[in-house]
Amino acid sequence: MATHRADEKRFLDERGSSGPLAPNGLNPATIMEKPVRERIVDSYFWKDQCFAVNEADIVDRVVAHVRFIGGTYGDAQKPSPFLCLAFKLLQLGPDDDVIQEYLGYGGEKFKYLRALAVFYVRLTRKAKDVYLFLEPFLEDKRKLVMRTRTGRRLTFMDEFVDGLLTKERMCSTTLWKMPSRAQLEDEEKLDPRVSPLGDIEDLLDSEPEEVNGGGSEGSGRSKSP
Amino acid sequence: WDDEEDDEDDVDDTDDLDPEAEYAAWKLRELKRIKRDREAIEEREKELAEIERRKNLTEEERKAEDDAFLAKQKEEKESKGKMA
Repeated sequence: MATHRADEKRFLDERGSSGPLAPNGLNPATIMEKPVRERIVDSYFWKDQCFAVNEADIVDRVVAHVRFIGGTYGDAQKPSPFLCLAFKLLQLGPDDDVIQEYLGYGGEKFKYLRALAVFYVRLTRKAKDVYLFLEPFLEDKRKLVMRTRTGRRLTFMDEFVDGLLTKERMCSTTLWKMPSRAQLEDEEKLDPRVSPLGDIEDLLDSEPEEVNGGGSEGSGRSKSP
Repeated sequence: WDDEEDDEDDVDDTDDLDPEAEYAAWKLRELKRIKRDREAIEEREKELAEIERRKNLTEEERKAEDDAFLAKQKEEKESKGKMA
């Protein structure tokens, strides 16, 4: 992108005051909080792996180095490679075509690439687009490792996406306040979401059995005659 | 950043070790989300209905309701005070 300079002066020193804004109107240089930005810029990963990187290199970096999602971790609050690359994306400002590649084809192959892209979309896109971009991946049940200050834990892509849609803070970053889905539906900007599980009324009626039936209902068996 | 990656084996993110169980677990998560969203909508509708109801009361009825509520609140506060 035209505004990306190797010396990074514009983004880091001028804090994006002269650069373009993200599609949701926020300044990409200040979406992450100052202490976090400082930790990122100080980190070895940032200096070694995030210098003169373009949108295609991001894919390589994710595949080679991202083994977990998270913000800053450990007692030292080290920024994760995931967070550093998200910061790089804020700087690069990839457009929707690139995002679609990260999410779709690339995301199918590399789950951490998809995780990075959904996080980036949540930070920079308009509310309606965030829902449209992210909701398909509530179906993605792949496992992810989430690293926090206290340790690692298992999470899932759908859980991560749901967190991005409903929580206020994820990965050491305050997520901008989005109107809720219900609100957008009331304004007729969004159609109601259809769960991949199908008709919700049916599901809620039969929920107890399905939950207990756990793994077997995929094969169509039922316990009672 | 790669130096400590070896102690990673405590959390395994390999997919499709047990596809059926993983599908079931996902389904449970999805159902919980649907339930949570519906409850939020119901909650909101209940609130709107309550506002609507209050609007349609006469001034005296509203006052009576408020007084009853305040009296109840006060009573609760006093009983708490006694316990301490």
